[in-house]
Amino acid sequence: MPSALIEARGIERVFDDGAVAALRGVSFTIAAGEFVTVAGPSGSGKSTLLHIIGALDEPTSGEILFAGCDLRTMPDLAAFRARTIGFVFQAFHLLPTLTAVENVQVPMFETDWPRAERRRRAEALLDLVGLSHRMHHHPAKLSGGERQRVAIARSLANDPAVVLADEPTGNLDSGSATIVADLLRSIHRGRGVTVVLVTHDPIVAAIGQRTLKLVDGRIAGDLRDGNGGPGAERPGPLP
Amino acid sequence: MTLFSIVWKNLLRRPLRSLLTIVGIAIGIAAVVALTTIAWGFDRAWSQVYQARGTGLIVARIASRDPLPTSFPQGLVAKVTGIRGVEAAVGVLSDVMSIEDAPAMLVFGWPIGTFVWDHLALARGRFPTGDAEREVLLGAIAAELLGKSVGDPIQIETEEFVVCGVYSSSATAENGAVLLPLERLQALTARDGMVNFINVRLSPAVTEEDLPAIRESIQTALQGFKAFDAGEIAQANIAIQVGKGMSLATSLIALVVGAVGVMNTVLMSVFERVREIGVLLAIGWRRRRIILMILLESLCLSLLGGIAGIASGLAAVQVLNMVPFFRGRITTDVNLAALLAALAVSIGLGALGGVYPAWRGARMTPTDALRHE
Repeated sequence: MPSALIEARGIERVFDDGAVAALRGVSFTIAAGEFVTVAGPSGSGKSTLLHIIGALDEPTSGEILFAGCDLRTMPDLAAFRARTIGFVFQAFHLLPTLTAVENVQVPMFETDWPRAERRRRAEALLDLVGLSHRMHHHPAKLSGGERQRVAIARSLANDPAVVLADEPTGNLDSGSATIVADLLRSIHRGRGVTVVLVTHDPIVAAIGQRTLKLVDGRIAGDLRDGNGGPGAERPGPLP
Repeated sequence: MTLFSIVWKNLLRRPLRSLLTIVGIAIGIAAVVALTTIAWGFDRAWSQVYQARGTGLIVARIASRDPLPTSFPQGLVAKVTGIRGVEAAVGVLSDVMSIEDAPAMLVFGWPIGTFVWDHLALARGRFPTGDAEREVLLGAIAAELLGKSVGDPIQIETEEFVVCGVYSSSATAENGAVLLPLERLQALTARDGMVNFINVRLSPAVTEEDLPAIRESIQTALQGFKAFDAGEIAQANIAIQVGKGMSLATSLIALVVGAVGVMNTVLMSVFERVREIGVLLAIGWRRRRIILMILLESLCLSLLGGIAGIASGLAAVQVLNMVPFFRGRITTDVNLAALLAALAVSIGLGALGGVYPAWRGARMTPTDALRHE
């Protein structure tokens, strides 16, 4: 097994001064290059877990190690998020005033790349997600599936090690959902990026190599590559 | 794409709101520009007058609360003439009168043959010939306002005069004035043998350092009098000072209203974009970039408002300058320093109005912001 890229040790997250426990002691490791889905019913703590992995939120107790380094000791979490993590959200969260190619460039403000380079990279990424014909459209002029593809291109803007996707197909019809799921798989394969995808949909959960099942803030199962689960009928992405 | 293009597009998201905010700032800045140009224009118009006359010091009785000093016997002028450094001293009478249908005008009574006449350039006609003549000389703007030219009769108070000439002066205030021989104005206002100002011309040898001593000697020779610098005479005028103070206060209120408008607009736009700011934080924007973005939005609004305000303030002054009451009373030449100050004030207002919204925007936590409905 490859060395751990992300390691969670006894993560607990409690909201509202102890009234709500979203995560109750979650431990796992994710290796570099893995495609892991986190499945579970709503309220199981999936999104909270994703936010903690992405350094948007801190655990109440427990620790997250990234490439062996404790996130709490990291001096510049903004830089960590900008360079290492790419986020994809359920509601896309593109900036409505910017065109597709501009939206992809938004995370690049935190890099040293010159303006022309940023633009060139944004165009290449939109090409990668199959939207080279939609570069200068505003989000309002794009379909849901197209918006999510722009968001995926944005998540790759700074060449992150990890893409964290929070219900990326949750707002999409089944046709667009399939396109987006396939796109994530091909990006995973083609770029070797680690993907952690949260979903409540068992079919989507099956596109990963491995599925962490989360129930009531605890890990209820860790299934590898099509070993059972409702999504087992779909072909796995990797041999 | 630059940060500024994001800022600009954010402002265009609600163009009407942005425009109204800019108008709010513009009104404040326009008020500052117009009111200060007018108030300080009075000051400068007066210092020009004395510089043009070649007058170094003006001596007047300061006890008076009237806009014009009280009169005194013209025999006192001789006490100044003997003082070292004084080349010449002339007692003059200045008053404000309503002539025919024109608004109130400055009326000067000057002794014929004295240096105060020397700087006037005759446009038409001739100078009055004697102290007792019923002749008046009109400033170019006064002639225009009164609709008079050389040879026309003119009614001043109870007496009829004839316009003997029209002059132009390098001092705006004098161009709006009416000049009479001293004795005629004394008779007209029942102040025989009285004057209310002494214009002092200093010897060419006098330097800046000698001035305090000369003023001291004059004030010793004439108890209860004060010798002013050419520039100080308007500054000692209570009416002008009150006007200045009021225009400053009015401008300040307008500016505060404008700044509150900017803050309101920027704060609203931050609240509308809570989730967007959460996304920006999530994808790795630093808090200081969020702060910079919000401050730039605020600065952009106030700077555009400042530019619009300066333009409309200057336009307002030009319009006022066409109103007969102000004609020839103020110098309205553009004061670059004042305009730069107005621009600086508008930038300051933008920064002020943006600080709180920027702080509100940057202190959000990304998870709370993302969950925001």
